[in-house]
Amino acid sequence: MYYPEPISKLIDSFTKLPGIGPKTAARLAFFVLNMKEDDVLDFAKALISAKRELSHCSICGHITDTDPCAICQDESRDMSLICVVQDSKDVIAMEKMKEFNGKYHVLHGAISPMDGIGPEDINVPSLINRLKDEEVQELILATNPNIEGEATAMYISRLVRPSGIKTTRIAHGLPMGGDLEYADEVTLSKALEGRREL
Amino acid sequence: MYINQLNLRNFRNYEQLHLSFHDKINVIIGDNAQGKTNLMESIYMLAFSKSHRTSRDKELIHWDKEYATIEGNIHKRKRTFPLEIVLSAKGKKAKLNHLEQKRLSDYIGALNVVMFAPEDLNLVKGSPQIRRRFIDMEIGQIQPTYIYHLGQYQKILKQRNALLKNLQRNKQLDRTMLHVLTDQVLDHIAIIHEKRFLFLDLLRKWATPIHQGISRHKETLEITYDSSARVSEDWNKEKIRNIYQNKFFEIENKEVERGTTLLGPHRDDLMFFVNGKDVQTYGSQGQQRTTALSLKLAEIELIYSEVNEYPILLLDDVLSELDDFRQSHLLNTIQGKVQTFVSTTSVDGIKHETLVQAELFRVKNGMVVQGNEGE
Repeated sequence: MYYPEPISKLIDSFTKLPGIGPKTAARLAFFVLNMKEDDVLDFAKALISAKRELSHCSICGHITDTDPCAICQDESRDMSLICVVQDSKDVIAMEKMKEFNGKYHVLHGAISPMDGIGPEDINVPSLINRLKDEEVQELILATNPNIEGEATAMYISRLVRPSGIKTTRIAHGLPMGGDLEYADEVTLSKALEGRREL
Repeated sequence: MYINQLNLRNFRNYEQLHLSFHDKINVIIGDNAQGKTNLMESIYMLAFSKSHRTSRDKELIHWDKEYATIEGNIHKRKRTFPLEIVLSAKGKKAKLNHLEQKRLSDYIGALNVVMFAPEDLNLVKGSPQIRRRFIDMEIGQIQPTYIYHLGQYQKILKQRNALLKNLQRNKQLDRTMLHVLTDQVLDHIAIIHEKRFLFLDLLRKWATPIHQGISRHKETLEITYDSSARVSEDWNKEKIRNIYQNKFFEIENKEVERGTTLLGPHRDDLMFFVNGKDVQTYGSQGQQRTTALSLKLAEIELIYSEVNEYPILLLDDVLSELDDFRQSHLLNTIQGKVQTFVSTTSVDGIKHETLVQAELFRVKNGMVVQGNEGE
């Protein structure tokens, strides 16, 4: 052991964070030693309160400090439209756009039999329950455009089909503001497939 | 296209090597275990950035050195440009025109190489997996999106097999997810089939006349696609998709029972017939070798039709295994248009006028002497 115990414990804690290796962790730990005590206390409190005071919304699954979450409580939003996403971070991304005025449903993952994740292991059952109670007319499936996200979207659309609720899938293709020449072959061929008439 | 210079540092048994090549025929002579194949391997690596013999790059570095480099000067479409591969414990760098290419797909294709080595006999004799790899690699060189569809297909297949294993253990589970994965896999299956069939048409177009030539019009080569789902090459994408859809529906219970996917391009194979007989089972050693050779020569023409320049041909220790007629037929077909590297233990058995003009390289224990001196 090169470090006294308190600091090696701190380093170990930092390495548990994503993207932090042992060297960065040591650098962060030594930085903490030189911080003002009040700042360190605030930091520690912020960590604990983020963990203790936040929970998942009982309706949509988004992270929240009130239950139901602010979005679910907001009556000015369109109740008939639900956007299904994989992650809470996706909700934030959609909200930044400020153009979507419906509600959300966060799955917390995608179906992946290889990793032992079935429909019951993500928030699919709660979504189906929601559709029974609320007056939903359209379900927008905004899962990620990879194999698991695509399969999850297809699975949900099959489950919902008998109810007659309209399901839509977000488009994929070229990013806005980009150059055609920098797009990879696969994205280009998808964009070509999804072309529309002007 | 041709390679006019090759520099090696710490590659296999070469500590330092600098060679200039003839733009047509280069003959590499040497006893066993002197470094003939290593030289061939280095040119192969310049083209594909990986070895044909090993997947562990560490083996390629001289045993007591830290890094290895392969540098080549390539002449293609009236331009000359350098290619470089740097191997070290940290990884591999591929440089085109002195610039590092982060994406391998940006690098591969700058130099086209076709190699024919003794182990290529397995293309005819070996397991179906080798033939699938052959077509997949060839199509991948011509059509970049094929690799994507193949990759997606293999990923979905893994998911589907994992799910089928679950269903096998617990038959009460809901099967909606299985139907979703089947639906998802169908599009990729149809595209893979379409591209494979197009490639087969091209391969036949070139391989059939080549085989007739090599065999003095005594043998006719036929290539057929052995499909696990019995799909026909005359069908279009939509029909293939529909047939597969129906078949997957029919065999659903069987797949659940066995816990794995029973149909698809991953179970298909190529079959070669000479005069109506299956070469893999009934062909003589010579017929198998001729078939493999026809496929490789067809590959050269295929690349020519795609990039409008002939690739470099590497003949590693195979010329001496062909009879006189096949040897001279081979050398006649490539004469004057394909830069060729021939490795052999001795030139005595090879009588052909092209060898007279050839540049000779004598390899001994990691050293190379150019020309006829030392004889």
